[in-house]
Amino acid sequence: MSLERPDTVDDGAVEQTPDELEALLGDLVVDRDDHLNAPGFVIRPDTVQETLRTLKQQAGYDHLSVVSAQEYENRYESIYHLKKYDDPTQEVSVVVPADKDDPVSESGEPVFRTADWHEREAYDLIGIEYDDHPDLRRILLPETWQGHPLSMDYDKDRPQIATLPEHANPLEDHHKDAESDTMFLNIGPHHPATHGVLHLKTVLDGEQVADVEPDIGYLHRSEEQMAQSGTYRHQIMPYPDRWDYISAGLLNEWAYARAAEDLADIEVPEYAQVIRTMGAEMCRIAAHMLALATFALDINGDFTATFMYAINDRERVQNLLEDLTGQRLMFNYFRLGGVVWDLPEPREEFFSKTRDFLDQLPESVEEYHNLITSNEVFQMRTIDTGILPPEVAKNYGATGPVARGSGVDYDLRRDDPYGYYDELDWDVVTEDGCDNFSRLLVRMREVEESAKIIEQCVDLLEDWPEDERNIQANVPRTLRPDDDTEIYRAVEGAKGELGIYIRADGTDKPARFKIRSPCFSNLQTLPEMANGEYIPDVIAALGSLDVVLGEVDR
Amino acid sequence: MGTAPAQLFPEFIVDTLGLDSVIGEVAASLVAAFVVGNIILAFTGVAGPWAKRKITAAFTDRIAVDRIGPFGLLIIPAAAVQLLAKELIIPEGVDRPSWDIAPILLPSSALLGFSVIPMGQLGPINLHLADPEVGFALVFAFASIASVSLVMAGYASNNKYSLLGGLRAVAQNLAYEIPLIVTAMSVVIFSGTLQMSGVVGAQTETLVTIGGIAIPSWYAFVNPFAFVLFLTANMAEIGRNPFDIPEAPTEIVAGYQTEYSSAYFVLFYLGEFVHIFLGGAILAVTFLGGASGPGPESIGFIWFVVKIWGFFLFTQWARAALPRVRIDQLIEIGWKGMLVLSFANLVLTAVIVGVIA
Repeated sequence: MSLERPDTVDDGAVEQTPDELEALLGDLVVDRDDHLNAPGFVIRPDTVQETLRTLKQQAGYDHLSVVSAQEYENRYESIYHLKKYDDPTQEVSVVVPADKDDPVSESGEPVFRTADWHEREAYDLIGIEYDDHPDLRRILLPETWQGHPLSMDYDKDRPQIATLPEHANPLEDHHKDAESDTMFLNIGPHHPATHGVLHLKTVLDGEQVADVEPDIGYLHRSEEQMAQSGTYRHQIMPYPDRWDYISAGLLNEWAYARAAEDLADIEVPEYAQVIRTMGAEMCRIAAHMLALATFALDINGDFTATFMYAINDRERVQNLLEDLTGQRLMFNYFRLGGVVWDLPEPREEFFSKTRDFLDQLPESVEEYHNLITSNEVFQMRTIDTGILPPEVAKNYGATGPVARGSGVDYDLRRDDPYGYYDELDWDVVTEDGCDNFSRLLVRMREVEESAKIIEQCVDLLEDWPEDERNIQANVPRTLRPDDDTEIYRAVEGAKGELGIYIRADGTDKPARFKIRSPCFSNLQTLPEMANGEYIPDVIAALGSLDVVLGEVDR
Repeated sequence: MGTAPAQLFPEFIVDTLGLDSVIGEVAASLVAAFVVGNIILAFTGVAGPWAKRKITAAFTDRIAVDRIGPFGLLIIPAAAVQLLAKELIIPEGVDRPSWDIAPILLPSSALLGFSVIPMGQLGPINLHLADPEVGFALVFAFASIASVSLVMAGYASNNKYSLLGGLRAVAQNLAYEIPLIVTAMSVVIFSGTLQMSGVVGAQTETLVTIGGIAIPSWYAFVNPFAFVLFLTANMAEIGRNPFDIPEAPTEIVAGYQTEYSSAYFVLFYLGEFVHIFLGGAILAVTFLGGASGPGPESIGFIWFVVKIWGFFLFTQWARAALPRVRIDQLIEIGWKGMLVLSFANLVLTAVIVGVIA
């Protein structure tokens, strides 16, 4: 992959019309299949790399958000959702149909590294095979799984029999080598620092990491399939809370709300947008506080005071969220077209509690700076470890604080505005260090930016005329978006770009519901950061990625 | 130098009870050792299940144990029963008997160190078991046996995390024991003796008198630089933050202890706490005037207890506040920093003492 992007920064921002893109791709395009969010070009399954490369190099589409795959009555289909890091409103979908009887399609991995895991997932769940893929194995389900659960002929009643001897000990074949002087070490799935059930297959050379491979799927709960069997109006909204369950619930709910509202053409009242924005930023603070807390745990050890301090601060914002939504973790507060209820009465009390929290926050942040970021030992541990250069980050589709810690100025709240963000005064935080320290700093500074947003929202809500407090738009009791409409919409979740792809088939349930999890793409960068470093650096890098396995595995 | 050392504890028993036969002396020594050993074990009992929790809770804005007994103190017997009642799980493929010896070796080596520590007087009793002429060298020798135990536990456990922990323990102890001992030698240059009572005695003289308050010539005041070096090396020696890397639960899952449960686990924890107290005792004797303090000499033991608990508190503070260094950084600090500084300190001390004396 020595393919340098020849275009300059300006080129990325130049917007091409769909027809220009079609002209650029020329014969590669077989048909058009436009989605609500982007023009879609249908190509032949053996020209994937050529198409993606042309779009990446000559049109500046340098961000492969997600690969969503599905099976139709007459074909399989993979969609490569492309965007630009410089301007994510410029989107294009590359639609790759594959043969029903022999679903083979060329892999996009040589062009976008991130396609590796996305295509493995498509293979695992749908059954499409990717030619030229470096490592086409199952990713979420066990290797011995029978069938592909999201394909049409999947027999869910078939017993999954995989005996223990069949599921061979991974140590036996490829890890015992009399010649080599390396050691294979399983970090996880039960390990104090994996932040959930994650398994890192690590090869050590002394204390140094020769190779690390994340093994995910331990928390796979078929979230996509569950969403596909729920109705748009009410039955899907509770699920997003359970993806990134580290109190980022409202941010996740917004991802679904945004996609579904755009799909069904629902206009959200302004008042509800302000409440959503405020709630979402509270969630972001809670999520970043936990990230900071657990990062301190990884670097300092189990008895660090920083952990409890950060949990304390998270608790305060959690109390505000409880007042607002009635729940502490699984909020289920958003509805299509608005939110479920207005601010708690008495409103003044809620506002003053929120202001108290905001007033005390700078002091807390200062304390964290005293405790960790200005500590020399902490700096020694985190600066210049876990390096993720910006080009590598983009190639892996990294987003959120991970990308911004590598100096990639990408934040959907500003670049692809939704909610009330573009009316408010706040800044996107980036750091150029590309290391563990930068990623932590980005989160700490983002907490302050979120506080700014919340403060402005509180001001707005306080002065909102009483007769204009409309919390929900009129939404039909049953939503049936038109047949064969497709949309991909993303919001800035706590960990990055959280996107939803929905294909409607004219019923009240989505025909395909695909979640683009930011943690999934971010976690993929771990080997880049960890190889050649020490074990403690792997732990630090993993902590600085701030993955939530519920969102990785879905 | 200094005042004449008081009668040692075993001799005191012999004299008081009139046991002047060989058997009587042996019995008296055993009784004295039993008493001293139990004092230390009692400290550990209070520190492990109760004080450590309370201290950490105070640092982290929590409450900790307060349900059983006054201030939650009855958690101590409750925890003892609970820990000992657990099943001892012996993993497949462990290398016995080293796997069984390691947890016994750690606390016993640390306890052995207390045999030469002058713990001060409590009334007529001088809590000091033996005062050999090489006492100072002996105590470090005892303290370093601990590394053998950690290595044994590490390799005998048949677990990769344990192995890594064992390797880290050796690397760390090698890197820090040399600066520790070299720094201690600079104290020996001052005191001119390796006998514990002599080292403590040399610190009773008045260094300066400021505003009517006599500052004793504790070596921490005489040579603060050596004190800081020694304190740092001591933290590494006992394996506490920022040098707790042989355990490092978030990296190598408690290292050499990973495979130990029940009574063996208790023994390891006991050993670690005794080791912290031994570290505090060595620090007190070497730099903080041993059992000396305001008031009559007969309450010296109380001052000694205050000093070693002060050191314990310090380790817990470091644990709550300081990040852990990485293994390669630790080795670098040890060999490239501490070793050079400790030798510089030794040479300087020797020159200064030689010129003045």
